[in-house]
Amino acid sequence: MELFSDQFNGYLWQMAQGAYVTLQLFAAGFSLALVIGVLVGIITLSKNIVIQAFWKVYSSIIMGVPSLLIIFLLYYGGSAMLSGIFGTDRSFDVTPFGAGVAALTIVYACYIAELVHGAVMNLPKGQFEACSALAIRPIAAWRHVILPQLTRLALPGLINIWMIVLKDTPLVSLAGLNDLVANAKIAAGATKEPFIFFIAASLFFIAFSALTLRLSARLETRFNRGIAEVKA
Amino acid sequence: MSALQTSDLTAVAAPRPVAVQMTKVDKYYGKFKALSGIDLTVRKGEKIVICGPSGSGKSTLIRTINRLEPHDGGTIVVNGITLDGSPTSVQDVRLECGMVFQQFNLFPHLTILENCMLAPRLTRKLSKEQAEAVATKYLERVHIGAQAHKFPSQLSGGQQQRVAIARALCMEPPIMLFDEPTSALDPEMIKEVLQVMEDLAEDGMTMICVTHEMGFARRVANRVVFMDQGEIVEEAGTDAFFETPKSDRLKNFLAQILH
Amino acid sequence: MSALPIDLALAWDSIPQMAEGLMTTVFLTVLVLTIGLPLSILVTLARMSKSPLLAVPAALFVVFFRGAPLLILLYLVYYGFGQIEALREGPLWVIFGSAFACAVIGLTLNHVAFMVDVVRGSLSAVPAGLIEASSALGLTPRETFTYIRLPLAMRYGLAAYQNEVVMFAKGTAVVSVITVVDLTAVANELFEETYDPFTPILTAAAFYWCFVNLIRLGFNALERHLNRHNVREATVKEPAPGAALPIDGAAPAAPVPPLRRMANFGRRTAPVKAPAPALSTATPKEHAV
Repeated sequence: MELFSDQFNGYLWQMAQGAYVTLQLFAAGFSLALVIGVLVGIITLSKNIVIQAFWKVYSSIIMGVPSLLIIFLLYYGGSAMLSGIFGTDRSFDVTPFGAGVAALTIVYACYIAELVHGAVMNLPKGQFEACSALAIRPIAAWRHVILPQLTRLALPGLINIWMIVLKDTPLVSLAGLNDLVANAKIAAGATKEPFIFFIAASLFFIAFSALTLRLSARLETRFNRGIAEVKA
Repeated sequence: MSALQTSDLTAVAAPRPVAVQMTKVDKYYGKFKALSGIDLTVRKGEKIVICGPSGSGKSTLIRTINRLEPHDGGTIVVNGITLDGSPTSVQDVRLECGMVFQQFNLFPHLTILENCMLAPRLTRKLSKEQAEAVATKYLERVHIGAQAHKFPSQLSGGQQQRVAIARALCMEPPIMLFDEPTSALDPEMIKEVLQVMEDLAEDGMTMICVTHEMGFARRVANRVVFMDQGEIVEEAGTDAFFETPKSDRLKNFLAQILH
Repeated sequence: MSALPIDLALAWDSIPQMAEGLMTTVFLTVLVLTIGLPLSILVTLARMSKSPLLAVPAALFVVFFRGAPLLILLYLVYYGFGQIEALREGPLWVIFGSAFACAVIGLTLNHVAFMVDVVRGSLSAVPAGLIEASSALGLTPRETFTYIRLPLAMRYGLAAYQNEVVMFAKGTAVVSVITVVDLTAVANELFEETYDPFTPILTAAAFYWCFVNLIRLGFNALERHLNRHNVREATVKEPAPGAALPIDGAAPAAPVPPLRRMANFGRRTAPVKAPAPALSTATPKEHAV
């Protein structure tokens, strides 16, 4: 097949549209996971035995199972689950996109919660004590002292999870989502040029990762203000 | 001996109001009894030094005064406020007590000035300008005004600890608690911190210090308290404490620490 | 469907099939880990080499095979090599014609790319002072590497390696797309036979969970074994609560070196673990799941 023929360009255009779906899936999944993960991470700091036990079991299950299975479960079983929750008289359509967003959210909210939990535990106890000794109330202490430091501590881990989520998005194509990888596969099959299309798809992911790494490096320098040790 | 009697007499002659009153205070960590039957009275303007071997409960004692550690038995009254565990009493007591920690505990993401301004703005509801004026005043008092816009990590340990003292002073507390303020410092930095503390003592601040700096204790303290295994073993006026220790445990301790 | 979405009879009946699928998953995992470890060390050494002839290709290898999603890598190997005429005719077709072998190749490329960072991180976690000390004792660089740096790096890197292994084991679930009959493929087959959306997947999930937690237990045991020298120290050092004598400050029970102390925030000194920041062990290693 000729490079840049009409047919070839058509496939490239399809892949671009697929890439747009991939990015939407990623953006929705990651941002939901972030919001829920941070909330859950803070909630699990509670010493309540029920919360602790529930969290231990739940996170162990979610983190002990491939995300592909969770995508399948939500895609195949999603409408039955929704009917079970909201009553069986209504039927629910679960799209691959919806199942994918839900699965990515469920799985990575868990990882983000663990990360946030760990970051808080890693803050020196003295930071909390200093706030208490200065009579700063808990909410103000969290807002002005704990969360700003948490952002810095958790940032590298968050970037890491960001990359994992990005590279997990293609799994949703196995539930029928017409994303970048699905379109690359169609193009590769139709043109018998697997190398071109699969490598192009890979380069998209690599470029996106590289871009985020660069941005994150910049963010990190900003958050690290005051941390870098200056020798007198 | 005569010096002790005179100081005792003056105390009796002019009883100053009580700042901190601890009565039969107990504290447990699980089954381990960290404090047992602590009775201690500190009057306004007094400077008390608490010393004792590692694990004797002296840090625990000072941390119960502003309820960083809740006590399990007995009563603690700070400037008329009984620490009964209610949130208001805890908050009120913490407004009465400034605290300086062994590890400074400065907020690493805030500048020196911001470290000092944060609590006054949040709890005293000062405006930005007012808070800055207060912070500048106390930073200058600990001789660190020039570094106000640096971050904690850019300062030496001694400087950081002086900032921590200024940060506590910015809340203008009537009582200051020092929990081993020089133990984490390199020897050459201890002096600058002790100097700031001595200046503070001269201004009449009520101070309770857990420290091993016996020179500081001799120069500044009105009374010294010796603790061991969660109990107050001996409590005496400064001269009597060092010249005529009564218990063997204190004699051993002094022999070790004074070489 | 009953109140419980799980059909216990179906789950029970599917156990032999699931177990067979699990065996494939386990075999695949163990095989790739075994091939991957020595390869990773070689690629890491190339990556850390001062010669750009070695370092640049190694770096490109890592960027590509780490950055590309595992699913694409599997497609690339499975469909890509099938297109090459010469390969089809040649003797190597035994390998590239088999889905299982393609899975092993794709997984290994991905795993090794991730492992390079794990190995590199562990090697650089070994304190420079120890390496200087061993050179000062007259050990050659090679001896220093073999007897000092590598064994210590193994201890420091264990947590990161465990993360990678767990993520990798879960990641093998994708191989079902290139017709390898692993645990996920078995679950999918059963779903297509029964149209029960819960039982086969949840049963497979239970099998995965057991596998992953067996890996965790294994690593915990290994860590205890490797760190036994530290454990003994800690128990001796710890003073009985309320023990009299040593005056803290004068003889600090928890010594904090002065420089460390000033930047004390954000890092709590972990007693046993590596100097790597404590956070990194809590986060999953970047890896397609």
